Amino acid sequence: MKEIMRSDLVIGMAGSGGDGIVSAGEFLITAVALEGYHAIMTKSFGPQIRGGESSCRLRVSTEKVLNPGGTLDVAVALNWEDFLRFGAELPVGGNTIVIYDSRTGVAPDKLPLEGVKPAVVIPVPIGEIARKAAATDRAKNAVILGLLAGWFGIAPEAILAGLRKKLAKKGAEVFEANQRAFDAGIEYTHEHPISADCRMSPAVDEKGSKLLTDGNDMCAAAALFAGCQFFGGYPITPSSEVMHTLSREIWRYGGTLMQAEDEIAGIGAVVGASFAGKKALTATSGPGMSLKTEILGLATIAEIPLVCLNVQRGGPSTGIPTKSEQSDLFQAVFSGHGDCARPVLAPITVADAFGITVEAFNISEHYQTPVIILSDQDIGHRKETVDPIDTSKYKIVDRRRPSEKELQHYIRFRITETGISPMSQPGMPGGNYLASGIEHNEAGAPTAKGEIHARMNDKRLRKLNPLKSRRDLYYIEGEADAPLALISWGSVAGVAMEARRLAQAEGIKAKLLVPKILFPVSEEIYQEFLASVSMGIVVEQSHQGQLHRLIRMYVNVPRGMESLAKSGSNPILAIEVLERLRALLRSLQRQRAKEPAHDGG
Amino acid sequence: MSTALVAKDYKSELKPIWCPGCGDYGVVSAIYRALARIGRAPHDIAFVSGIGCSSRIPGYTTAYGFNSVHGRALPIAQGIKLANPDLLVLVAGGDGDGFSIGGGHVAHAIRRNIDLTYIVMDNQIYGLTKGQLSPTSKRGLKTVSSAFGSMEAPVNPLLYVLSYGAGYVAQGTPADMDALANIIEEAIRFPGFAFVNVQSPCVTYGEADTQIKAHKETMESLEKLGHNPADWLKATDLAQDYGNKLYTGVFYQNPNPAPTFEAAAKERHHALRGTGFPKENILEMFRP
Repeated sequence: MKEIMRSDLVIGMAGSGGDGIVSAGEFLITAVALEGYHAIMTKSFGPQIRGGESSCRLRVSTEKVLNPGGTLDVAVALNWEDFLRFGAELPVGGNTIVIYDSRTGVAPDKLPLEGVKPAVVIPVPIGEIARKAAATDRAKNAVILGLLAGWFGIAPEAILAGLRKKLAKKGAEVFEANQRAFDAGIEYTHEHPISADCRMSPAVDEKGSKLLTDGNDMCAAAALFAGCQFFGGYPITPSSEVMHTLSREIWRYGGTLMQAEDEIAGIGAVVGASFAGKKALTATSGPGMSLKTEILGLATIAEIPLVCLNVQRGGPSTGIPTKSEQSDLFQAVFSGHGDCARPVLAPITVADAFGITVEAFNISEHYQTPVIILSDQDIGHRKETVDPIDTSKYKIVDRRRPSEKELQHYIRFRITETGISPMSQPGMPGGNYLASGIEHNEAGAPTAKGEIHARMNDKRLRKLNPLKSRRDLYYIEGEADAPLALISWGSVAGVAMEARRLAQAEGIKAKLLVPKILFPVSEEIYQEFLASVSMGIVVEQSHQGQLHRLIRMYVNVPRGMESLAKSGSNPILAIEVLERLRALLRSLQRQRAKEPAHDGG
Repeated sequence: MSTALVAKDYKSELKPIWCPGCGDYGVVSAIYRALARIGRAPHDIAFVSGIGCSSRIPGYTTAYGFNSVHGRALPIAQGIKLANPDLLVLVAGGDGDGFSIGGGHVAHAIRRNIDLTYIVMDNQIYGLTKGQLSPTSKRGLKTVSSAFGSMEAPVNPLLYVLSYGAGYVAQGTPADMDALANIIEEAIRFPGFAFVNVQSPCVTYGEADTQIKAHKETMESLEKLGHNPADWLKATDLAQDYGNKLYTGVFYQNPNPAPTFEAAAKERHHALRGTGFPKENILEMFRP
């Protein structure tokens, strides 16, 4: 029999809190990362702080992984109630291999799945094996790791090494018990073989070449790399880990962290630190972002650099704190009273969060403006393998400080050709000025004169215009003359990318534009991209289709450009984007059939 | 050789927008005098305020000023001091800024004990918005926003900050400029968070019993009363007369000032500096 191996495997697991499902996922992704695979792991929890249901999805591939994947190849259910609570997050299809704890009392032909008949259904006495091997139910996750290693060929040695390392603190006994459970899981797979085409192909990339982290930690590390010396913030899901990591790391680099009494004080302290000359960051989400809005306006009018990371979650108000959404785009771009504009950036992967965060600091410093990074819960919390990043390629920008000569007759808000004025800081002799939220003249003195207000507004808005030419902040793939297009952003961009590549493999000519800078909107870059386009889809995770609407404010978008927009917590799958592209192609062909031919002599 | 700094070196060219006779003129003068005695160069001083008549004050000095948004002077000032602990950082504003819209920040600035001097110009009224109730307005006060009289008890700023744990708490009035300049100077010299409440009359919307003339008649010096500023319990006792009696001078000065946040940060920097990955290799922290 010919052995077909898989290059891509999506595993989904669910259980109750305490079952260790998420730590099983952590062990798996660590193991595959060490082996040189590409992988993404997402975690999802019920609303409870402790206990309750928890799940994770792991996508392992020999190639770059673009998104957490769609329908599961392997589903592991420790109990069905918990599994089903995750609904569309853990979709089971006709090709899924379902493994479940036989103790749930569900017959293999009576799975509580509506309208789906999985390819293979395997009840395993997971709890029983754990108790027999390790004398505890708590080793169930080690049994699952053994099953996955045995049936799918996922790096047993690496998993074991990971278990040893993780459990080192708990003593040899605990590790040995888990090792026995793991071995028992493997043994079970030897006794109950399934078809060989389930096994992963060996990794292509070198062992030990990968880094492994999530978007929040990546942003924290990138901030330090960019020279961030101050963090002020307030705990809020799903952004808190940025503060956690910085509370451990920022001091090592001479920086200071202040856990503020509220969101406003967090960004207030950041404004103060930046006014005093230090690069500063705050991180927040949802309601926190709303609270910070007034001070963002202050930073705009007082021309104070800062970076505000918004790890988006479901809204409005408390919304769905633990789930991803892209519905803060309007807020990032438009919130705040007055003629207020600020650059908005968004990373598309965990690795990308490095460059985007460094860029956010650079832009904030160069243009003396607050910059918002729109990450989201998906990128913020998902663990992802990261290929080595050559940090020497990234330059670090510092704000333009006044020269000795400029300090002799210093004018803080001097109107220059670029709109950018040298910025002094306390401690600098001759640089003394008044920063203010009140409108001010070039020297910083308060004013209510319309003419000065107009001039200062013009200065503050005009200085951001060069950002519209930052082609490096727009990712484009596909043939330039394609008639079909996808536009997507943030974590959902990876789904659009996969859909486009699947479409291309079917011969559908489609291209993709991913703006990593959402504001200011570059009319020119969009217009150029859309020149060949008759139809397409803007793919995003917000109910209103916020990017679709935002682009249309600035750009002449072809009427055939539709919106594929879903509220958060409803995964957008590559396959559905592909189906929309197929449908668009059909209607394009129908349309063309009706039109008289234009070309030719 | 540089000559010694004098009060007018701290006075800017900006002409105050305050009404003639406003108590805040006295406060800013007392600040000039205190700063001259301390002698730090204006460029080493950051002076932060929120919004309100009194919050215009940083612009009337030659220091680096920050006239920010309503109620948020304290968070901004803390960020400044933590970013550069060598600076002398002053914070000022009105009673509305400090005890209404920004009231939530006071307790935390105090428990963090960052070395700031916070001067509140307390006039029991909202002057900038033309005469509404303030958090320190007396019960029963009729204003444009309380046509039939206030139904709320006023806050007691002195008792608040004492109970929050402020290391230095004093009160003054422009009716006694020497004493006011003295306590501001002392507050600045105090190593830690220092609070100065200034009864600063609003000549346009304030009641007669809040004016300079009334202050001169009723004020009582704590020093002359024989109050020992190290006695915190007695200070809280005296502070309860806020609104009835005008005590001036130092209510409380901690004889053993607590360590400041920035001192602890400095120790941590010292202990941890160089223990991280070199910046160019910072991503090594993600090695699985």
